[in-house]
Amino acid sequence: MSQDVPVLQVSGLRKSFGAITVARDLDLEIRQGECVGVIGPNGAGKSSVFSLIAGVLAADGGRVILDGTDVTRLPAHRRVHHGIGRAFQIPQPFAGLTVYENVLSAACSGAGLRGSAASDWACEVLERTGLARRADTLAGALMLLDRKNLEVAKAVATRAKLLMLDEIGAGLTEREVAFLIERIAALKQDHAIIWIEHIAHALKAVADRIVVLNFGEKVADGPFDAVMSSAVVREIYMGLKEEAGHAA
Amino acid sequence: MILRILTLLLAALVIGCAPLLLDDGQLSLGMEMLVTFVICAMWNVLAGYGGLVSLGHQAWFGIGGYAVFIASNALNVNPLWLLPLAALVPALIALVLTPLLFRLKDAYFAIGSWVLAEVFYILVQRSDALGGITGMPLFTGGMLGASIYAQVFWVAGGLALAVLVLSYLVLRSGFGLGLMSVRDNEVAAASIGVNVRRNRRLVYAVSAAGVGLAGAVYLIPNYFIQPGIAFSADWTVIMTFVVVIGGIGTLEGPILGTLIYFAIRQGVTDGLGLSGSWYLVALGALAVATMLMAPKGLWPILRDRLHLDWLSVRRPWPGRPDRAPHHQAPAE
Ligand SMILES: Nc1ncnc2c1ncn2[C@@H]1O[C@H](COP(=O)(O)OP(=O)(O)OP(=O)(O)O)[C@@H](O)[C@H]1O
Ligand SMILES: [Mg+2]
Repeated sequence: MSQDVPVLQVSGLRKSFGAITVARDLDLEIRQGECVGVIGPNGAGKSSVFSLIAGVLAADGGRVILDGTDVTRLPAHRRVHHGIGRAFQIPQPFAGLTVYENVLSAACSGAGLRGSAASDWACEVLERTGLARRADTLAGALMLLDRKNLEVAKAVATRAKLLMLDEIGAGLTEREVAFLIERIAALKQDHAIIWIEHIAHALKAVADRIVVLNFGEKVADGPFDAVMSSAVVREIYMGLKEEAGHAA
Repeated sequence: MILRILTLLLAALVIGCAPLLLDDGQLSLGMEMLVTFVICAMWNVLAGYGGLVSLGHQAWFGIGGYAVFIASNALNVNPLWLLPLAALVPALIALVLTPLLFRLKDAYFAIGSWVLAEVFYILVQRSDALGGITGMPLFTGGMLGASIYAQVFWVAGGLALAVLVLSYLVLRSGFGLGLMSVRDNEVAAASIGVNVRRNRRLVYAVSAAGVGLAGAVYLIPNYFIQPGIAFSADWTVIMTFVVVIGGIGTLEGPILGTLIYFAIRQGVTDGLGLSGSWYLVALGALAVATMLMAPKGLWPILRDRLHLDWLSVRRPWPGRPDRAPHHQAPAE
């Protein structure tokens, strides 16, 4: 992978559910080592855009290029092999498997590892994501924080080039968010990241750029401060502006 | 691991020597137990590990039987040599049908598989070439000679051991882990790179193949095949009840369930002298009681009581060797 090929290049992405449009000619580019924050009001189509990029949802039009490869026509599992890893907004653990087995499964099926290479990598991911102490717990029995961690762990274990994180900070305490910020800053070493989050100060701390989605449209794209003070964001996104003010 | 291999060798020894000690009636019963274990184990792999509840698995039992009967009569070849067909034909038909069948989810899949089995049943019943509703004889049955019960018993025993060992190995592999991931959450499984479709097709075809083999082995010593028996819904009833009672999603469950099933059957039929299908009623009652009181089946209870971990496919975390792996409380 060369330095100047973007990890993710989305162009002209379109999708609507009847009257609801979740992507309207959407263009998006994420470079190597970049962390892009995504904000937008509830129901703006943020999670749906992730599903479109991941191939879980079929787009009405547009292209998705991963690290120079056009994956538009590939099913979700093949896109994983090309480097997409996703943490779902609502955690989706494999409830009947232990935490270790969840991560091991991602190491086997996603990263294509076997035997001790797979188990060594799974152990390393568990240490990195702070889940080692829960390794033998059934994933279905985890508390929210650990469920969110497990989402990230599974995505990391696939050896993703691009991590798509969907509101993994929602519902966490301030202290937990501080940990999360540290962890994501560390993940930036190995992955390009696109992170949907409502916690503005967390995005300010780690995101290189903020993209604002509204009704499936990209209405702003730029550095945190510039985007947050832009007229269009103030207009559609007053709530977050105030929250950012409190947290700072 | 040593314990597992020793138990396996012991089981192989018992199965190998049994025909020297048992009479034909006992061997026939033994064969039936082994065959029952095989179909239940194959149903369990599909439902308990693959998350696909099939209510039409009798189709593969019948198709496996008919495949061997037809081929053996046509080629005038010893039916036991043609057993590979009892696996191949069901597997191929299953592979052809899955694109259609897998459009149905959950309860619809269960109903769809049942409808499919009825279709096969009716097709065979209507086919004059196959003897229609009265069925057809196995003209080559005589080739097996007087020791037919011993031979069939051995084949059933080999099949049962193979099913056990292969299930264990496959479920311990990355493929097995992928399969269980699909069972727990399809979208999340695809999102970590599991090919959900291929994964399920494969396990469905393997399950069909195993049941097909069992069907042929069971039917050969009858020298006769009849659609009403080969495609009887009772087979699927037995598979579901036995697995629910023994413990779905455990490899030991079908073993325990099969033993309980035969204990009930012998008890109700010989002990109480009730003929017909009364034993199935008793089995059903036990299955319902199990579902209400121990939804995971009896093996997990026994396992936790006795601290047994014989054929568990759980992978303990190797991260800290000083910590012994242990069973977690079940998640609700
Ligand atoms: N499969 C679907 N069928 C129909 N409508 C859908 C489907 N998935 C999502 N939607 C609708 O699309 C809109 C966008 O949903 P989406 O989950 O992408 O929003 P979001 O920006 O992630 O919101 P939130 O911040 O609440 O997570 C919502 O109105 C939702 O109801
Ligand atoms: Mg969302």
